[in-house]
Amino acid sequence: MALPLKPYHSPLFSPKLTRRGFIKGGGVLAVSFTFPHLSAAATDAPATTLALASWLEIRHDNTVLVRTGRAEIGTGMSAFYAQVIAEELNVPPERVTLIMGDTDKTPDGGYSAGFLTGAENLRKVGAYTYQALLSLAARHLGVPVASLKVADGVVSAGDRSIRYGELVREQKLELKIPVSGQAARVDPKAWNGVNGLDGLVVLGNPPTRPVSEYKFIGRSHPMPGIPDKVTGKTQWTCDVWLPEMLHARMVRPATLGATLISVGPLDKKQFPSAQVAVKKNLVAVLSPNEWEAINAAQAVSAGTRWTEWSGLPGSENLTQALRSYKWGAPSDAKGDAAETAAALARSTRTIAATYEQPYVKHAPIGPFVAVADVKSDGSATIWAHSANSQGLRARIADILGISTEKVVVRWLDHAGQFGRTTFGGDGAEGDAAILSQLTGKPVRVQWSLQDDLAWSASSPGWVEDIRCGLDTSGNIAAIQSSFYSAQSNDARIVGAILAGVPSTSSKPDYWVATEWPYDKIPARHEEVYGMPNLGSDSSAVGLRGLIMRTPGQRQQNFALESLINEAASAAHADPVEFRLRHTSDPRLIEILHATVEAASWKPRPSPHPEAKATGTDPVIGRGVCIMVRQNAYWVGIAEVAVTPATGAVQVVKFTIGLDCGKIINPRQLERCMKSGVVMGVSEALKEEVIFDTGKITSTMWGSYNILTMAEMPEIKTVNISRDDKGFGGGSEGANAICPPAIAAAFFDATGVQPRRIPLTSTYVQRLLRTA
Amino acid sequence: MADQLKLTVNGTEQTVSVTAEMPLLYGLRNELGLSGPRYGCGLAQCGACAVLVDGSEIRSCITPVSAVVGKKVTTIEGLPALWAATKGHSETGSQTLHPVQQAWIDEQVPQCGYCQSGMMIVAAELLTKNPDPTVPEIKDAYTHKPPSAHLCRCGTYAAIISAVQRAAQVMKS
Ligand code: FES
Ligand code: FES
Repeated sequence: MALPLKPYHSPLFSPKLTRRGFIKGGGVLAVSFTFPHLSAAATDAPATTLALASWLEIRHDNTVLVRTGRAEIGTGMSAFYAQVIAEELNVPPERVTLIMGDTDKTPDGGYSAGFLTGAENLRKVGAYTYQALLSLAARHLGVPVASLKVADGVVSAGDRSIRYGELVREQKLELKIPVSGQAARVDPKAWNGVNGLDGLVVLGNPPTRPVSEYKFIGRSHPMPGIPDKVTGKTQWTCDVWLPEMLHARMVRPATLGATLISVGPLDKKQFPSAQVAVKKNLVAVLSPNEWEAINAAQAVSAGTRWTEWSGLPGSENLTQALRSYKWGAPSDAKGDAAETAAALARSTRTIAATYEQPYVKHAPIGPFVAVADVKSDGSATIWAHSANSQGLRARIADILGISTEKVVVRWLDHAGQFGRTTFGGDGAEGDAAILSQLTGKPVRVQWSLQDDLAWSASSPGWVEDIRCGLDTSGNIAAIQSSFYSAQSNDARIVGAILAGVPSTSSKPDYWVATEWPYDKIPARHEEVYGMPNLGSDSSAVGLRGLIMRTPGQRQQNFALESLINEAASAAHADPVEFRLRHTSDPRLIEILHATVEAASWKPRPSPHPEAKATGTDPVIGRGVCIMVRQNAYWVGIAEVAVTPATGAVQVVKFTIGLDCGKIINPRQLERCMKSGVVMGVSEALKEEVIFDTGKITSTMWGSYNILTMAEMPEIKTVNISRDDKGFGGGSEGANAICPPAIAAAFFDATGVQPRRIPLTSTYVQRLLRTA
Repeated sequence: MADQLKLTVNGTEQTVSVTAEMPLLYGLRNELGLSGPRYGCGLAQCGACAVLVDGSEIRSCITPVSAVVGKKVTTIEGLPALWAATKGHSETGSQTLHPVQQAWIDEQVPQCGYCQSGMMIVAAELLTKNPDPTVPEIKDAYTHKPPSAHLCRCGTYAAIISAVQRAAQVMKS
């Protein structure tokens, strides 16, 4: 039975509320969806493999259940999402329970790539549901919707009131809301090999709660998973135990391009329950006993022979390798090339520089782990921690040669991945699925740390040539930049490549990631070039590239902001004042002022009058940078101490300012800002993937260095919350504003401009010696 | 070959049948079903697997099961009982969280949380030996104590410092 709904005008995008039946002793309003764009000509059946479970349920006991394929990645989404839904429904967030990431329990799919990608969608789901609840209440109370008042899940009209739970009591109501989108599926034509990674997008514009009425957004709602994590109750991805499950350890090729000659012997006397599984170049040792699997794998590995391969340039030759590559046309560009060239030609002075960074790693504290159970009927269940469960599901189906419908991905917590599973790929899931198919048993694959640092994808190295022209008053008249990098969208699954089973491919394109902050610079032209993975010119796995926290912009902003600092110094201008000259954006100006004040910044040009590039005494300096990203305005101010003789660089203090529109959860935001600074300082000072001509050699924490607690600067946060600018992306970007500010502070202290990160002591000593 | 080894884990005596040189990590996880200590590196380089043995932190990924026979092993699952025992209450069945755990919740320390079991173990040890640590002492305990620094890739160090200070206040009172 259809129930009338207001206030929608377009019949195409109107939600539909129907009574599906009765539930004795229960009752629910369940939200599902329709595909209005497809309903007119339904020849191409909608990809409804997503549509398994309801999105949101209002239950008779006044609780709210929300299911979303997007999952918690450590940035507090499980807290934010509950708040956003709660706000639209007008119930306290404590009453909202989230189910995240499981493909058989969540309907929508999509990236878990930060707050913005998912919350807007869920907010609309909440808003549609709220309108349906109002309609039900109006009928129940016999008054028009306009005369209803709602507080904490209780609807009232005059002295009569009813709870949401009572509105659904004993009934099964279904609300269908309009969406577009398709299920994730492998498509060789897609840019990274899989379509539908965005998940379902809610259509139409249901009325949302005005910011002035917010009760729950703006509060520090806690992350629901934390109590279980601190008491040991959480079931992590590594904690899946199935009957008859085998533990597997991988025996990886000697290099990123080697092929198998022969598998080493397995001593059954020493390892009675172990077995070896091989598919082309995928080699693993399995045992019901994990410790036996570890030891047997080591023994087998020692005797396994691989072909020689040396398809990599070696990390010390990375710049040269990028320089000598025959780049075709740029894969993306912004701005006006001719106008910029003319403005540069007219300039009284040009400053040209090249900035660069080696390969870096996502480097989670927990290496990849996954469990797969491929049944003899061809169905498969994968337990994993992916930031795109539906994307992973599609890839696993492709690898196993079964239909997507037969694969279930169950999401569980695991160590933060920082973007490497955003496209649903990479990881141990492919290994586990193939090994389970081979052995007929459930298989748990735990990569060792060495496996992970050597075989997971990296954030690729890059170089950028950038120059600007100054006019007679020392202002920037034009900026031109060319960015060169290996691709960062290779989400192929290692196990599949090694086993020689179908694997998706991706286009080696890159993109202009900068959101331009300097509207008063009259001309600019940015172009970017992408190339395939290093070492991918044969059937080799090669050095696979994948996006990492604040992708693209992290790199391109380092070059842009470093150049701005160099230009400010050339113009003998204070770098804050110099930036203010080149923007009229009021939000940027305000957060810049606020952050500068918090950092007690005294205007003067860089370098410091007492800058020194020699000596055993530390010299100190300060530097600034900005970034605009996803409706958020960032400012970073670093204070560093450099000891020229030893090359030691310590970031003493970092002040980080952010205006990301309306702040949803101050505490979760603050911790994302502070922890992002830790990651950014780490990248600026320490991180570099070392590889020889065949393989990555920085495969332990002793050789791939990340920041420790003692190296963390004092961190000060500055925030501006705005009620009239919507929501911005605040959870991700903090890492990206560290390297340019730190490099500028280094220059301020020493008078020598670093154009490369990381500022390791070896690099710093060389840099200062040759300055 | 498997040996019968007697361990005291979280206040309870347990017998496990494992090879003596197997690292404690696999004994705790696979034989006793404790998921607090986790595999991070297996090389004593990260701290994800840390547990207390007779009140001092060790890395369970490189410590053979045989080395802890007759000693008291505590994982985060056993912190409430450990706290109850320090307060002179009965060891088992305690529902009150260890002040370190409560502080970890109050300060919202975990991001992904993978490293945090090891981080809480450090805090529990530090606060019994130094009830009122300064910030440099806290940083030192997490960074310079052998065999390695405790690493957090999510970058929760600042929150950890706040939580240790908060727990210290509670434990002193
Ligand atoms: S797993 Fe033991 S220290 Fe890393
Ligand atoms: S909280 Fe994620 S590694 Fe520490």
